[in-house]
Amino acid sequence: MRRVTIDPITRLEGHGKIEIFLDEAGEVANAYFQVPELRGFERFCEGRPVEELPRITPRICGV
Amino acid sequence: MAKLKLALYWAATCGGCEVAVLDLNEKILDVAAAADIYLWPVAMDYKYKDAEAWHDKFIDVCLFNGAIRNSEGEHLAKLLRAKSKVMVAFGSCACFGGIPGLANVADREGVFARVYGETPSTDNSDGTRPQTSFTVPEGELTLPYFYDTVKTLGQTVPVDYFLPGCPPVTKQIWAVVQAIVAGQLPPPGSFVGVAEKSVCEECPRVKEEKKVTAFVRPHQVIPQPEKCLLEQGLICCGPATRGGCGAQCVNANMPCRGCYGPTERVTDQGAKMLSAIASIIDATDEAGVKKVVDQIVDPLGTFYRFGLPNSLLTRVRV
Amino acid sequence: MSGKNSFEPRIIGFLCRWCSYQGADLAGTSRRHYPPNMVPVRVMCSGRVDPTFVLKAIADGADGVLICGCHPGDCHYQSGNFNAMRRYPLLMKALEQFGIEKERVRLEWISASESEKFALVVKEMTETVRRLGPLEWNRRLFQEGQRKT
Repeated sequence: MRRVTIDPITRLEGHGKIEIFLDEAGEVANAYFQVPELRGFERFCEGRPVEELPRITPRICGV
Repeated sequence: MAKLKLALYWAATCGGCEVAVLDLNEKILDVAAAADIYLWPVAMDYKYKDAEAWHDKFIDVCLFNGAIRNSEGEHLAKLLRAKSKVMVAFGSCACFGGIPGLANVADREGVFARVYGETPSTDNSDGTRPQTSFTVPEGELTLPYFYDTVKTLGQTVPVDYFLPGCPPVTKQIWAVVQAIVAGQLPPPGSFVGVAEKSVCEECPRVKEEKKVTAFVRPHQVIPQPEKCLLEQGLICCGPATRGGCGAQCVNANMPCRGCYGPTERVTDQGAKMLSAIASIIDATDEAGVKKVVDQIVDPLGTFYRFGLPNSLLTRVRV
Repeated sequence: MSGKNSFEPRIIGFLCRWCSYQGADLAGTSRRHYPPNMVPVRVMCSGRVDPTFVLKAIADGADGVLICGCHPGDCHYQSGNFNAMRRYPLLMKALEQFGIEKERVRLEWISASESEKFALVVKEMTETVRRLGPLEWNRRLFQEGQRKT
């Protein structure tokens, strides 16, 4: 089975990777989209004062 | 003169640094006239395998933004270090860890447990977690290894220049770009696009005697626009923070949170900030001091907002 | 390290030159016994102890930090120890967020004549830190070999 890896996917915000698997005829048999990036805002925003979050969460995406 | 070869990369970041580069507006055409860009995932279609195929020192200048959060970030940092003559830590995440560096309050398991389990919007009764390797019918899929501790770029590879800011202000980026093009960079290891002194030196507010009997939180008051924010009882990280930003936040009536990092002589920005805050507390007995300190709700998250990985303690003990 | 009982804590003591260091000196000349776990660092004033010093001691492997100064009102420089008094609670609040037990960092007022108090404080602190176990900031937290020192 032939495999086409697109790493990284470009011209968008964030990190992404696509794995495409081709069958014998060269048709797409299956494809997987992966996100190889995590920063954990869900965790480190905990414990921060609520009025500070407007200065932290904009850094989820700056584009 | 041959055109400069430029690479821009992002590790654990938000993309705001890329936008800060684009904020050069029409000057980006001058950049394009002086340099060819060979890698810039947000804007151009080059793949990692293209970068791997370059010979060593192929790139003249690499602007690297983002903290090192996982093994992919580390791999790209090492790869681009080998392929670049000059490595620039671009933005606060690459310089000090930045906002993603706040994740050093937890470890890998702590982050995963929250993100993939506890959040109210998550339904994951199987307890699925990211795997570095996973076998699907068609073959094996891989993901980077997520570290316990976020690192700065400088803790990962040797860095030639540091250009801090969240994001770096455009006029500073432009000054650095011009210096690069003219070949007039300072000695390696320097901070570029910054002021020598603190944010307080750039702050236009009137500063008188600092004596604080009570700290207030930003949502509790509308600060007077001309008076020092610290004197009004708002925690402002200006005294321990390097200038260069033009005191943007302060000019918008918001206290500084320290994104330009510590000044030249300061080792630990948070400790210096802590010291500065303590010195203005107007109390001479232990109970009085405690009463004022109790009003400071989150010293770690405030004084180390952009620099936990760069601090002496680097992370929280879990 | 074979177990908690055989663990010898390493405590860094920042002692003010005018009172607490003299108190320590007197403890020595008076032949008072106290544990050898505290390494004294003589500073001109407890107000000279920047929070950076405490963090640096911990980051480099100290299990505890003791800061000793003149009693409030007795400072050789009039108000230096008040600065220490103002910094300490805020530093403790931050250290607690870093996951460091508050017993590991202690501020005490010890005059030049209080050799008995000095010996007692060092003894108490050594026992408390021994019970808490090693902090090992420089080793334990960076098992992935991530930290470049």
